[in-house]
Amino acid sequence: MQACQTNRSLRTRPCLAGLLLCLWTLSAPAENDAHVLTAGIEGSFVQTSTPLTSWLEGGLGKLRNDENTDGLSLYHSFMNYSGRLTPTLNVKATLIYNPEQSSGLDFSEAFLEFRPVPRTAWRARFRVGAFYPHITMENIDVAWTSPYTLSSSTINTWLAEEVRTVGLESRFGRNFGANGQHGLNVEGAIYWLNDPTGALLSAKGWSLHDRQTGITGELPLRFGTTFEPFKELDHRAGYYVGGEYRYGKRLTFRYHHYNNHGDPTQGPDWGDTWQTFFDAAGLQLSLPWDVGLIGQWIDGRTIWQGFDAGFDAWSTLLTRPFGKHRVSIRYDDFYLDQALLGGGVQELDRGSAWTVAWLFHHSQKLRFALEWLEIESTRPQFVSAGFPATVAETQIIVSVRYLLSNQPN
Amino acid sequence: MVTIRRLSTASIAAIAAMGAAPGVTAGEIGQPARLTVEVTDRDGQPVGDVVIYATKDGADDDRQPHPAPAIMDQIGTAFVPHILVIQVGSLVDFPNSDNISHHVYSFSEAKPLELPLYRGTTHPPLVFDVPGLVILGCNIHDEMLGYILVVDTPYFSQSNVDGQAKLVGLPPGDYSIRVWTPRLRENSLPPDLQIALIDAENRQISVRFTEKLSPPHTSDRGGLSRPVY
Repeated sequence: MQACQTNRSLRTRPCLAGLLLCLWTLSAPAENDAHVLTAGIEGSFVQTSTPLTSWLEGGLGKLRNDENTDGLSLYHSFMNYSGRLTPTLNVKATLIYNPEQSSGLDFSEAFLEFRPVPRTAWRARFRVGAFYPHITMENIDVAWTSPYTLSSSTINTWLAEEVRTVGLESRFGRNFGANGQHGLNVEGAIYWLNDPTGALLSAKGWSLHDRQTGITGELPLRFGTTFEPFKELDHRAGYYVGGEYRYGKRLTFRYHHYNNHGDPTQGPDWGDTWQTFFDAAGLQLSLPWDVGLIGQWIDGRTIWQGFDAGFDAWSTLLTRPFGKHRVSIRYDDFYLDQALLGGGVQELDRGSAWTVAWLFHHSQKLRFALEWLEIESTRPQFVSAGFPATVAETQIIVSVRYLLSNQPN
Repeated sequence: MVTIRRLSTASIAAIAAMGAAPGVTAGEIGQPARLTVEVTDRDGQPVGDVVIYATKDGADDDRQPHPAPAIMDQIGTAFVPHILVIQVGSLVDFPNSDNISHHVYSFSEAKPLELPLYRGTTHPPLVFDVPGLVILGCNIHDEMLGYILVVDTPYFSQSNVDGQAKLVGLPPGDYSIRVWTPRLRENSLPPDLQIALIDAENRQISVRFTEKLSPPHTSDRGGLSRPVY
């Protein structure tokens, strides 16, 4: 785990210098929006209350921080580029700041998007490169952040940790019915470089945080080792298929089946090839009284050599805007088990979490946020490490985010 | 389905106060008539943005469309107006008042078009010389939806928020009254109504939809909407 315990502050300086250099380029506003650079500088104060060391430091904690790493940070900052090569061909890339990573800066997404002009009622959209599948219902803002909370749900946290599409995605959609009230999208993708997906989840269980793994990033694993979640070992393509139904702007339902098609016999190390497959569904609903509801659910398995883990999780978020303010509350429930050779399963991680967030958009550029998060989980590893079987962790984040963009206003 | 009933006629004195419809010239045989249409849904509530147009039977109408282009703007990632009605042969300008680019297109048979990425008034106005419905979209923002209804008559109007539409300057004669809204499928729209207008008549009719209307197009996502600055 030494690789992940290196001094964060030593890496912070060159990373910040690089980020500031990029920001300097924003000082010249573009004449049009053909090349839009957006930078989010977010200063956060984090205060946790947990007996556990963060998973990022090799411990059993589910948060990004622990009591040893609390304090001020800039690690929610990002830079997003969106450029048009032709009227129908775009390039998009998001640079994130992970001080724990040796490079500090890394891309969370980088892809080409082809949007041919429709000749029929069907629209076709293609993406090639590295990007998130359209599974999340919450992380829809710039740089895959959420407009509702600071920390992602358990499902979206896991997607950010070790799920990324490095391949080709095709999406076809159309509206139908009077006034185009009904919308339908179907999509499919093939991808590579996702063989270890599942290694981190099965090792440490579920987490809640806002950290996104860069596409060249490394993550801590068990017994002081690290692994790269985005690499190709078995040379077998994975796939996902999905669909989305929309009614007006008020209801969206989404479903995906994902299978990385990994060969679980490949590679002797825990961080090698896992066969991971899951079903994921999401619901977004506008309720009366300006209340919005977002629900997500996932259920799947991940297999490496003789280790066979089952996982599921769900979350429900209620949110309501009050002018420039927004208040959101979310409940998460998660579960992970391991199949035993003699039959039956052993629970590895079970728990739930509450998140309450207040966001205040002072302007389009300036946002203040306050979030409280509590996780209660039960793991057999807690007992063997000398902790109670069930541990509660809480976290408070206060943050200020300033957006810089060369897009003309 | 729709029910239409005659409410009343008005006096010649009332007609004298009316103006002519755009593109309508004087010199008709007889005094022009006026048609007021009250549009309600099946619950009796007024319905806005319903298109009412009248085509004169038995004779070609040689009135020319208004020479100035109609405007289909793009404001706040939406087509404004959401529904534009024009006479066949009209020009339409497509300015983009947003600070982001749009890529307007239509695959409708009446006017396939594409206005590649632009802001401001890059593209010259387009002429719409085939009657029919033109559905507009934006290739950047899939949620954008707009309609241009090209009609072969200078007599058209749209109902206001009170559900009232007025057609003025109608020469006496036989007319087919047509009703259109995107909130009903084509095969659910009411059939044409045949009416005869006499000199200086001030006719009022009501249109009541008996089928449920789909909700109006909106970008409002309720509790999931983004903040307004």
